[in-house]
Amino acid sequence: MRTPGSFSPDNVVVGHSARMRAIFDFVKVVSKSDSSVIITGESGTGKEVIANLLHHSSSRRHQPFVAVSCALFSENLIETELFGHERGAFTGAIKDKPGRFEMAQGGTIFLDDIDDVPLSMQVKLLRAIQNRTVERVGATRSISVNVRVITGSKRDLRRMVAEGNFREDLYYRLNVLPIVLPPLRDRREDIPVLTDFFFKRFARTRGIDAPAVSPAVRYAFSRYRWPGNVRELENACERIVQTCTCGTVRAGCLAAGVLFGAADPAPGAVAAELTAAEPVGVSLDDRLLEVESNLIAWALKVSDGNKSRAAELLSIKRSTLGDRITRCGLQEAPPQADVAGDMAAVEELPRLAASA
Amino acid sequence: MVSRDQIETVLGRIRPLMQADGGDIVLVDVRGNNAHVRLTGMCAGCPSAHMTLYMGVEMALRDEIKEFEELVVV
Repeated sequence: MRTPGSFSPDNVVVGHSARMRAIFDFVKVVSKSDSSVIITGESGTGKEVIANLLHHSSSRRHQPFVAVSCALFSENLIETELFGHERGAFTGAIKDKPGRFEMAQGGTIFLDDIDDVPLSMQVKLLRAIQNRTVERVGATRSISVNVRVITGSKRDLRRMVAEGNFREDLYYRLNVLPIVLPPLRDRREDIPVLTDFFFKRFARTRGIDAPAVSPAVRYAFSRYRWPGNVRELENACERIVQTCTCGTVRAGCLAAGVLFGAADPAPGAVAAELTAAEPVGVSLDDRLLEVESNLIAWALKVSDGNKSRAAELLSIKRSTLGDRITRCGLQEAPPQADVAGDMAAVEELPRLAASA
Repeated sequence: MVSRDQIETVLGRIRPLMQADGGDIVLVDVRGNNAHVRLTGMCAGCPSAHMTLYMGVEMALRDEIKEFEELVVV
């Protein structure tokens, strides 16, 4: 059983990405209603955080919030978990036990991993949600419950319906207000904000100052794929804060998995391409253009868009910079400027160190 | 018998990031199917860096080079 713990809306990081801001605006709107919400997102994208936030911004916030992962229980156990049981209903049922629905009376129930609920249980769930009543296992009377239902799913339920693994009627009952959480790799612009937030939070619990973060680490974080999404980032930050001995987070602090993941496509991959048995064409112009635009983006970023200063940094004439910006198609502020900037900074650093 | 080149190729992937932070992972010696490496620079004295790199790099080497056996941090 998961408990909401010390959830506070202040502990929720919105991030800069348009998608997340849209989601938070939507949460504000739907928290006023009592309709079912379904939150779809990969593991670690923050489904429970959003469910918590919905509850805590609603008029039910002083009532209980009960989160339960449907994946935790076997087919038989899930019914007693959700609906409770009467004394003597089965061997070991030595006393009455209220289910999660009853425990959430007046508040919100968050049924996570709804995609793991077996078909036989889905029909019982549908009945409970539709009639707003539950029957404890072994009981003859129904108990009416006033509960807002939020469900979480890591799979696309529509597809599961099409494949026959999820009941269509339950799907429509649950899918009144859908929220889709993007994976972290699709909103990389939020990684720096989240990183800083987690470092600060874990440093506070350890009673130390938040560590400084090197550009190489930021670069690695922005390039890594984060298959475990925000949860993985959070754990990475926790591990680093707990093990850091020098007050600065450097590449050496990172798990090698992140380092190798960030290095992909590896610099070695280029070499591999070149030494491959079957020759693969490499466009020199494209590669050079890539390097050029990265460096220009970096220079423009660190000089706050001042082109004269950027030209100085790159040791080229101001007029040349203008031409090259046009050639690289950097006229508009590129959306990946942050990442490109950090990458360029990383490429630049060893050279600076070498020339120093 | 693993070759120096094979190991350097794997290490080379994370090297730019290490170097950007004023550190490096140096391949000191290859003995049989084992590699001896040393951390230098900023992270050389950090026990955590040794631990994470030791485990992660060894795993990466084993993944990519079938016959690789052991990474020794010297």
